[in-house]
Amino acid sequence: MKRFLIYLSKILVLLVLVSVLLDGFYTYAFFQAKNRGKAEAVFNSVQQKYDVVFLGSSRANNHFVAQLFQDKGIKSFNYGMSGGHLFEASLMLKLMIKRKYVIKNIILEADLNLSSDDESEAVAAMFLPFIHNSEIIKKHFEYKEDFNELYYIPFYRYLKFGSSIGFREMFFSAIDKKTNAMDNLGFYPLVKHKNANMKNNIANLNPLPHNKYYEEIKNICKANNINFIAVMTPMCENVVGMNYFDKVKKAYPEIYNYENVVADDKYFSSCGHLNDAGAKMLTARILKDFFSK
Amino acid sequence: MFFNSLAFAVFLPVVFFLYWFVFNKSKSTQNALLIVASYCFYSCWDWRFLFLLVFSTFLDYYTGIQIEKGKSERSRKFWFWLSILVNLGFLGVFKYYNFFAASFSELLNSVGIQASPILLSVILPVGISFYTFHGLSYVIDIYLKRIKAEYNFVDYSLFVSYFPLLVAGPIERATHLLPQVKVKREFNFQTAKEGVCQIIWGLVKKVVIADTCATYANAIFDNYTSMNSFSLILGAIYFAFQIYGDFSGYSDIALGVSKLFGLDLLRNFNYPYFSRDIAEFWRRWHISLSSWFRDYLYIPLGGSKGGIWMKIRNTFIIFVVSGFWHGANWTYLAWGFINAVYFLPLLLSNSNRNNIDEIHLKFNFDSVKVIISILSTFLITCVAWVFFRAKTITDALLYLKQIITNKQFYFQYLENDRYNYELLIIIGLFVLIEWNNRNKVEPLSGKGNMLKIVIAIAAIIALGTFSDYKEFIYFQF
Repeated sequence: MKRFLIYLSKILVLLVLVSVLLDGFYTYAFFQAKNRGKAEAVFNSVQQKYDVVFLGSSRANNHFVAQLFQDKGIKSFNYGMSGGHLFEASLMLKLMIKRKYVIKNIILEADLNLSSDDESEAVAAMFLPFIHNSEIIKKHFEYKEDFNELYYIPFYRYLKFGSSIGFREMFFSAIDKKTNAMDNLGFYPLVKHKNANMKNNIANLNPLPHNKYYEEIKNICKANNINFIAVMTPMCENVVGMNYFDKVKKAYPEIYNYENVVADDKYFSSCGHLNDAGAKMLTARILKDFFSK
Repeated sequence: MFFNSLAFAVFLPVVFFLYWFVFNKSKSTQNALLIVASYCFYSCWDWRFLFLLVFSTFLDYYTGIQIEKGKSERSRKFWFWLSILVNLGFLGVFKYYNFFAASFSELLNSVGIQASPILLSVILPVGISFYTFHGLSYVIDIYLKRIKAEYNFVDYSLFVSYFPLLVAGPIERATHLLPQVKVKREFNFQTAKEGVCQIIWGLVKKVVIADTCATYANAIFDNYTSMNSFSLILGAIYFAFQIYGDFSGYSDIALGVSKLFGLDLLRNFNYPYFSRDIAEFWRRWHISLSSWFRDYLYIPLGGSKGGIWMKIRNTFIIFVVSGFWHGANWTYLAWGFINAVYFLPLLLSNSNRNNIDEIHLKFNFDSVKVIISILSTFLITCVAWVFFRAKTITDALLYLKQIITNKQFYFQYLENDRYNYELLIIIGLFVLIEWNNRNKVEPLSGKGNMLKIVIAIAAIIALGTFSDYKEFIYFQF
């Protein structure tokens, strides 16, 4: 039995060693990533200057055509992340401030994402490789239930979020395989799908009265002299009459409602996402409302 | 409590410690602990069905004794049939009632008689097919006077409820396991070490191969109408490796865990995808079930006695019943039937026992023939797996039709945000490792044991799929 217990102990030690080594190797690979996703790009970047930075979920990523701003001489970038919530938008902004980004305006897509202050697991995971190297990321995740496991158990974060930061993503980061996340100044245009889902029931959705991360973004902007513009972006005809956007307006009067700027379904890729033409219409309107001299 | 869960990682060491350090005084204390542990293990699935397990155990224990004690043949028959009918009755109610009621109703509707079936809203008790078959084999063996009845209830209970085999086999025989639980187990370092290696290799099969293949196979099977020929072929191959990794991985863990307690379970898989014909495949795949059906159905039906037609009839019966054992769905019946059809040429040419020797490859023409026969056996197995995996027979047929008619062969981007070629390298490596170790129970033990374990651990934690898919397929049976 003694021999067996020694044998088991050796395996356990090896397990820990392998976990530590793999953790280090994966983290190193993610540190080299510049062309993969927006989280890695910002974390591995140095100081940038922007007139306008867009933040939010896919409804920012697919809706704000940064190039239209750029064409007017307004330096901008769309840091909206598909699938992301305000949790990740807030963290992204904190990292930008830490990297000494100089930002004049933040345009935040704040509508459906106000209904929750949870993280989006798949998107939040993109920040986890850097948790030991960034006090900001550590603090941002500190309130999460499994923070201790994520922080202290080697490799646990890569194992738990294998589909976001597992072997495949690590491998592509290591060989610096490019994605299209940073193309078009961060904007990802959508096309009209023939069988697109043009239904979305948001009648029972309610915005949180005080979304923690929305308030956080607002306060960061205030503290850093960034002009904060929060907007609600359009949805398809099917949601007309479901008064979610009115509820948002009531709870957050400072958010500009662009729900009806693009109304025709032909400008949508799916119920919650404008296609390229629709995105250009919305962006042009925002440009006109806030940046025309 | 899955074998690949954190809960089991705590449960197993606790039971191991108690077994060898606290309850190691006699075989009775060892058995008592294992029964308590087994019932705890089963309760973690659904404690409400524990009564069913206890009842089934008691029924077979009692009827076994009554059969042995029976003075007249009539009395023996009575207890025998009571046990058979109650056991099959439970299986029928929990597993098959809804299927028969719905099918009967559909049949009536198709001839113009309106009927709506009364369906039971019951969930299938986990492992019922496995522990029922344990009990059945025990009672049949006593009735046929192959074994003596077990009078020690604790020992018998352990034979039926032993936790490593409780929910997904292997389906044990009283002749094999009962003698082992009747003696005190002494710790053996070599056996325990082999057990650890088998557990680790089982985990590799489960989380690296099966669960990863599952995400790809699901993405293809669930969207087969939009997939091209190449993706559909890959989908069938991925499912073949998913079910193999899943079930044989489970069996490896079960056997490995059992070795830690000094108990040897029946081997359930013997590298089935290296089979040279379908008969060999069935001697290597789910061996404990195949041999169960051979001993308790095929042979009682007459086996191969009575000429070729009797042999064909009996073969079709066992394969269709075997398909039905897997679940109450026409797809499983079709899968069983297809396998029986595959058997037909071998039966007619009397060559079903041609490939019982070990496989050796050399640089000659015979080896090319062997490789071709292995690949063609794998190919027809994959075709049958399409029926096993598809939701309906129509889906399976459309899936196969699409392979033939689509004629497009390029890698497609899948619903799981991945291209479907990425997994091929892992599968290729896995096949290579299994091929090189096909004469061993698992590839980790032996020379360079620690290095192999390190690589296996690295593979499990780096390549394993932990977030998307967890369940073992055979738990539903």
